[in-house]
Amino acid sequence: MQIQLSWEDPITEEQQEPIFPLPFAFGRDLTQLPNEWQGKEVSRAVFTSQEISRYHALIYRSEDGQVIYEDRSANGSRINGEKIRQARRVLQGGEVVQFGPYSVTVSLVPSGDPSATLLTSAHRGTRTLLLEPPTDLIRPNTRTDVDIPPSSTIVFAPEQSPDSRSASEFPPPLFQAEQISLSALQATGLPVEEAEYLALGGGMGSFVWVDTIRIHGVKPEQIRVISIAKKPYERYDRLLNNCQIPRWKRIRSGSDSCPDNIWGWPGYALRDARRSFFSGRVLEALGFLWQVFSEPLLADTYTPRAGDVFASMDREAARIGWDQMLRYGHIRAIRKTEDGRYVVAYSATRPGYTDHRFMVAKYLHLATGYPAIKLLNDLQEFRERTGDLKSVVHGYEPHPHVYEYLEKQGGTILIRGFGIVASQVMDRVYEARKINPRISVVHLSRSPKSGNRFGRAKREVDNHWEFQPYNWPKGTWGGDLRAKLEAATPLERRELLEVWGGTTTASRRKWRRAVRQGLREGWYSIVFGKVESVVLSDKGKPVTYIQGTHNNTQMKVEADFVIDCTGLVSDPMTNPLLNDLITRYNLPLNPHGRLHVSNDFELVEMRNRDGRMYAAGIITLGGPYAPVDTFLGLQYCAHRSAEHLVRVRAPGMKTLEGIGSLWQWCKWALNLRP
Amino acid sequence: MTPTLIGRWQTRVFLLATIGGLATLPFYFGLTGHGGSLIYFWVLFYVGLIGCGWDVLYNFLMGWMWDHDWPGFLQLLAGIWEGLFLGTVLTITGLPYIPTQRFYLGDFILHYSFVWVCIYLSSWVVMRILFPRWRFRGGEWLGKWPYSRG
Repeated sequence: MQIQLSWEDPITEEQQEPIFPLPFAFGRDLTQLPNEWQGKEVSRAVFTSQEISRYHALIYRSEDGQVIYEDRSANGSRINGEKIRQARRVLQGGEVVQFGPYSVTVSLVPSGDPSATLLTSAHRGTRTLLLEPPTDLIRPNTRTDVDIPPSSTIVFAPEQSPDSRSASEFPPPLFQAEQISLSALQATGLPVEEAEYLALGGGMGSFVWVDTIRIHGVKPEQIRVISIAKKPYERYDRLLNNCQIPRWKRIRSGSDSCPDNIWGWPGYALRDARRSFFSGRVLEALGFLWQVFSEPLLADTYTPRAGDVFASMDREAARIGWDQMLRYGHIRAIRKTEDGRYVVAYSATRPGYTDHRFMVAKYLHLATGYPAIKLLNDLQEFRERTGDLKSVVHGYEPHPHVYEYLEKQGGTILIRGFGIVASQVMDRVYEARKINPRISVVHLSRSPKSGNRFGRAKREVDNHWEFQPYNWPKGTWGGDLRAKLEAATPLERRELLEVWGGTTTASRRKWRRAVRQGLREGWYSIVFGKVESVVLSDKGKPVTYIQGTHNNTQMKVEADFVIDCTGLVSDPMTNPLLNDLITRYNLPLNPHGRLHVSNDFELVEMRNRDGRMYAAGIITLGGPYAPVDTFLGLQYCAHRSAEHLVRVRAPGMKTLEGIGSLWQWCKWALNLRP
Repeated sequence: MTPTLIGRWQTRVFLLATIGGLATLPFYFGLTGHGGSLIYFWVLFYVGLIGCGWDVLYNFLMGWMWDHDWPGFLQLLAGIWEGLFLGTVLTITGLPYIPTQRFYLGDFILHYSFVWVCIYLSSWVVMRILFPRWRFRGGEWLGKWPYSRG
């Protein structure tokens, strides 16, 4: 008998579904867990949280064949809501066990089950077993759960696109070395360009970094950006569109998180208010100001329109000379050079001609964003089996056909996930219901939500939707939570992030009203359980079989569409470029398997004499700063690395403070080049 | 801006000493109220001194909010509360260098409100523009990044 635990990682929001043979022990401290129990080898797992005991519980099979949960903890566990402490209880499949911030659904899997073996091989062991004790970090060569991008992954425009035709010949064999000489590069006969600063990836992260160092004094001639995107918000815009946020809608970001303005003033609310005021909509203008003044206590949090953000970025891009610095290309590999710099092999190949190039630079910045989106395993299996890509979709995939169909024919959709994308989908369905009221929504949740606790505070929950204005508490932006996280060790960081993170959405009155109305009128319902399988019905519709959380009840939901609103993939190992970099230089990873960076966002192991390399964005999740994938987080990363560059006297970089900062702000306001 | 306790103290002291000082000058020179007096600067001093104590309380209260944040609205409430408290103390008992017989509540309200509005607006605008790192460090405009490694 084996046991499968499934939960959603509170930090990365990815689904975890490892299988462990029984007996199985877990706790906070691996050394406290038994190796052997009644002559049998014990499988072990570590969960990090101060609320979890060093040896929290043991799960084993009794002589009469029942599975027993034995709590050995100080704080106890909850099984289906019922508290047990220092006691035993029979555990049944489908039950939800809660310990600390974890809410784990248990499935019992017979040892011979072939699908179980498959899952086991995909999730070998647990991640936490691989930490290096002295540093709390992971070395990639000790990490056993690394997979090449799984088949259930939808890779969207990664910086390094797989180009099978030329991949074998580029980058050339000399890239097998850790260090490359400039003469060897030149001997290849391929074009070599040199720059002081090089941003890899032309998305939001690179834009904010380049903007920051430009304002700190670096000239556009000294900077290069390698990207396949023309606009820095290209991928972000596409994702927004796919998840039902056209440009005129508001995104989940703060007023003063402005990628076009490193000072955060004037924020978007003030700009919005000014526009409304001069268009004669005085009340609306006052409304925006009221929102930033009283959020989130008395008013919904103010958020900017996607279109306004992009327009302001276009203005800033023109001001700092973005197009002048931009080089088109897929990035293939990054290596150190023998003269204390870095070389990047990139391919500007377009249909019809081959164009491979090198760029050599002393200061590198890596911000490649999310490598992929991933469908839930059972939904991917459904797609592979049926070839049906229309009735089961990911919220981040284009899926307007769903709403077109519903508006015409009516029908049922099943939503999986309770994050911001689910809110947007609900909002879109609400609009569709105005056209065709014969639309109903079934929302699937693994378990009821009670709201995380941290110290004296508790996160607000309403109808199992958890609310947080942004994806991390605001205190992590600059306040005490930021300071606390920065001061913590890698493992402590993980504990803190587990409490602050998780799937949340923004509390907007309109959305909350729609949920309440749906529940009241019966067109919206929430079911609890774990999906066993998704199959095609006789009518050609996806049917979801769910194991309910109470006493093995079985449920069956027949829907016209299933929309997966769970997260994006942020594991750098699924990005071939980062995978290559990490394995080549044996870069340490933080306990969440993301790039380990210093508090200045430097990849310290990549230092090459005076050469410095920095990273930003989601690939540093689990590190010194929580909201790394937000606009403000990107500004924070850029700010920290810029200050570090000033400290190491990087060319052109000047301290930005006081009058100098005011002067630069005036140039921003007057739209003059920095 | 989401503050830390040290950030609150630093911002309060800095803004009172600079913007607060400038805003007090017209009162000191007697352009308004019952004629010029050094008392206005003593009021400023007590706003800062007692305020640092209030900040400890605010920081504690913030722990009940999930966001650990301090919206503008609460800043306003705190400003009103601090003014009420100081005004009452000065009217009833007075404080060193501000005897009750030389204290005029009307002047105090005018002075306090003017200083407070100037400081409030500066904290949103001037601090951000002069000290770009200020908002990332919870209101700490002085010193290096704490715990900086590497």
